[in-house]
Amino acid sequence: MKLKGSYLAAAAATAVVVAFPAFLGAYPLAVARSIMTYMALAISWDMLLRSGQISFGIAGLFGLGSYASALAVLRGGMDPFTSILFASAFAAVMSMLLGLAILRLRAMYFSITTLALMEIFKIVIHNLHDFSGGPEGVVLPEPIFGGSAPALFWLCMAGLFMTIGVSWYFEKSKMHLALTAIRNDETSARSSGVDIFKYLLIAFVITSTLQGMMGAIQVQSYGFTTPDTAFDANFTLLPLAMALLGGIHSTIGPMAGAVLLGVASEWLKLKIPYGHLIVYGFIIILVILFMPQGLVGLARKTIRNGRTGVRHE
Amino acid sequence: MKKALVILVFITMAVSVFAMGDKEGTAAAGSAPATIKIGATWPLGDITGKQGSMAAQQAVDEINAAGGINGHKLELIVIDDELKADKGAAAIEKLVTVDQVDVIIGGMASGVALGQIPAMKKYGKVVVATGAASYKVEEALGADANWYFHLHPWDYNQGQSYADGWAAIQAKYPTIKVGRIFLAYEEGAFGKASFDSSKVLFGNAYTFDGAPFKSAAFGGGDYAAVLDAAKQYKPDLFLWAGYDADALPMLEQAKAMKFNPGIYLGAPPGWPADFGKSPLANNVMLYGMWAPAVNDISPASKKFYTGFVAKYGVEPATYFAPLSYSAVYIVADAIKRAGTTETAALIKALEATSYASPLGQTITFSPANIIKHQGIRNQKILQWQNGRQEVIWPFESATSKPVYPFPAW
Amino acid sequence: MANKRNATVLVGLSLAAVAVIAVWKPTVLIYGIQAAGLYASIAIPMGLILGIVHIVNLAHGEFMMLASYATYMLCSATGMDPFVAMVPTAAVTALFGFVIYRLTIRQALKAPELNQLILTFGIAIAMTQAVNLIYTSQTRKLSFEYVSASIDIGELSFGIFNFVFVLVAILMVVGLRIFLTRTTTGKAALAVGQNPKGAAIVGIDVDRTYGLVFALASALVGMMGALFITRSSIFPGVGSPFTMKSFCLVAMAGIGNIPGILGASILLGISENFLKAFRGLRGWADIVFFVLIITVILGRSIRGKKA
Repeated sequence: MKLKGSYLAAAAATAVVVAFPAFLGAYPLAVARSIMTYMALAISWDMLLRSGQISFGIAGLFGLGSYASALAVLRGGMDPFTSILFASAFAAVMSMLLGLAILRLRAMYFSITTLALMEIFKIVIHNLHDFSGGPEGVVLPEPIFGGSAPALFWLCMAGLFMTIGVSWYFEKSKMHLALTAIRNDETSARSSGVDIFKYLLIAFVITSTLQGMMGAIQVQSYGFTTPDTAFDANFTLLPLAMALLGGIHSTIGPMAGAVLLGVASEWLKLKIPYGHLIVYGFIIILVILFMPQGLVGLARKTIRNGRTGVRHE
Repeated sequence: MKKALVILVFITMAVSVFAMGDKEGTAAAGSAPATIKIGATWPLGDITGKQGSMAAQQAVDEINAAGGINGHKLELIVIDDELKADKGAAAIEKLVTVDQVDVIIGGMASGVALGQIPAMKKYGKVVVATGAASYKVEEALGADANWYFHLHPWDYNQGQSYADGWAAIQAKYPTIKVGRIFLAYEEGAFGKASFDSSKVLFGNAYTFDGAPFKSAAFGGGDYAAVLDAAKQYKPDLFLWAGYDADALPMLEQAKAMKFNPGIYLGAPPGWPADFGKSPLANNVMLYGMWAPAVNDISPASKKFYTGFVAKYGVEPATYFAPLSYSAVYIVADAIKRAGTTETAALIKALEATSYASPLGQTITFSPANIIKHQGIRNQKILQWQNGRQEVIWPFESATSKPVYPFPAW
Repeated sequence: MANKRNATVLVGLSLAAVAVIAVWKPTVLIYGIQAAGLYASIAIPMGLILGIVHIVNLAHGEFMMLASYATYMLCSATGMDPFVAMVPTAAVTALFGFVIYRLTIRQALKAPELNQLILTFGIAIAMTQAVNLIYTSQTRKLSFEYVSASIDIGELSFGIFNFVFVLVAILMVVGLRIFLTRTTTGKAALAVGQNPKGAAIVGIDVDRTYGLVFALASALVGMMGALFITRSSIFPGVGSPFTMKSFCLVAMAGIGNIPGILGASILLGISENFLKAFRGLRGWADIVFFVLIITVILGRSIRGKKA
């Protein structure tokens, strides 16, 4: 149908984003980087959610990626860019091993276990003073690409685009059917021959890899990290909120949510120096109450012009 | 199908918001060249940053009321760093590129400063830092950062000053004997750094040991294990490095366990409201930079204190208030002497700073381990006496004599 | 049958372990049980909401924080003792919890679980930040003589005040058990918790029950908030770590298993203090909590598979 128009618009949007450094100053670029990081985390979290598994371990994998990259540079003498690839691979291997054990869990028990794993990573990093720098963290010789604002922007953007690409692939390919089947009715999915565990493991490893990669990009961009920075619970909670506010089970929803919350938080802070987070909390409450399907759900509803929306597509 | 369109709408929205910010900034800079702009970042959700920013505004208002600097008005632009490195770094970018400030001041947490340093290095604007005690920050700055003026003592400066302080106190008051020191430190970056630097500095002259605890500020608050270890060690000086949330509960638990060292000393960044009113608080010692008692010995402190209370109706609760106030005066004074905000001239003028600060000491800059411009080097040793923090050491700022030993309950 | 024998063996082993610890390091046992009392009495109200309303309330700790501030204000203004002030505080927080439930959570009940989760996350942010704006981040604490009450046994002196929380936790478990099995409202609540649709069919007002349970849990949290100020300083962020701890404890016990929360707390309290008793292991004490949770959850899932 309108497929062509849609691709065209997507290409145009991509071109605009790629060209950001040409017409935006260092400050909007810095804010954009932070929004893109959260956006990538929100999308990757949503990808696993499409199978019905709610992960609370985003910050854990993000932090793991951060430390793998930073320590590869500091202790292993690795080149910063290679260290990002290394950190992604490290996150992949770790999540594969963990996934074998924990992907049999469902619902809240899976969530809690991912949360607990995140805390365990943090405590380990905290306590291995000599290797990991302990609670005071690690400082790299300098940020990647000499800290050049456009280069850092493009690096973060590359991570985000990769995430979007994988997520779109998930939406269009066999993964989509498999994950949706698992989410809607695991028993019948199993009886119709879907290898549930295999698909869950693939989704878990891929999303964890992306989260680890974003952590590595973050640490290389700022040139330092501490356990409290890398494993900040906000890296778990904000992507969740963003995905939900935008609309889950899609790529576009988490993106919209990340832009909404990211821009809102920065803008509010400049307008209301003291107490801006109260308004931020209210935005989350109001969006959940009045747009339970998220921004994208609301947009769809509006487009359909009054016809009642359907919860699951 | 409309997905891409939705993205476009959002991107345009986001870009326009910040492009607007861009315009506002440049327009203001163009039309009013007479104002001198000071940019600042603090964690405004935390009492330290909140009162720091209030005190800085107080200083700016005082200077403007007195006619400004060489006829130019001062303007303070504060951005909340939210205690997050990425937010703090973005704030520096905004202050420099959008607001086009002449000087940057502020800062509290080391973790935020580490995130801001790459941006600061990129622009090389003069920075007068009010926070960031971790030696990691100094390492990240490196020896070339001659635009960085660090008011707050580094962690190793503080450790050194305590070692000096206790040596001086024992020499002056022979009844006070310190042989064994035990440090209970919170397990985060702040406590661990205190332990590491104390171990080096106290290790030779004293018998020293310590144990970590989880601060109530992060969901801990059970001190039984660490106090047990301290009690068995039988220290002359018991020292804890944690947060204000730990102050009274730890004291109460120590009493319950009948742990009664000769000197009970706390080193949190701030104290709880009304700590002095607790019957247990009397004669607890503390490390700090400032207390209202400094008003007795320093006219600058008195001026700051009465001004702050008159303007805001509350007492300054942490030393970040007078420290931030000092930062504004130091910058203003240097600009006045330099006659310009141009970086090289300003650095030169700042190097010649000699400011009788409300902290009860004169601030000058001299080299630290790595950086060239270090301001304050020592903390003070104080003691809660009858609900008030009195300065015990350095003796030239002392407002009272130490009470020793810490009374048994 | 095999299950029963296993359970007996398990109980026997635990008792033996406790006896060994009691003789060898009595403080581990004392402090462990005291810590457990606090964990459990904060987690039980969350377990109640999760078991019956099936909502993970991420603002759980913030409810307690708010109750603590209310009590602090009341006590510092009137000189009242928190043990008395907990009655009005519980009443106020019950009302507050009910209002929050009606205004927000009720509207999201039909939405997916995640919406409720993020909704309560938003409520938590708004509550913390509002308190931060009004009272600043500076901590507050009232001093009470009895908090330092202690006992000497030979060389050993230890505080006994924290045993109050063990008592509170036991009272909560017993009280809730009586409420849920003996009273009509309680039985209805239990039925709603097990099967809301079925309960609605037999004529139970599900919405009213949810509101009631939410108010009851809020009252319990409010009571804990009042008692919390006796031993701890309060500040805007004081509640949030307890949300996660409570959530973990409830999951470890299994949803709907309120006495299990007390059991899980005792296990964690003792193990944490066991590690803290060793030099060099102290920094790792926190890890016990999470390792145990994963072990229990995985263990239960494997056993579930076999059965």
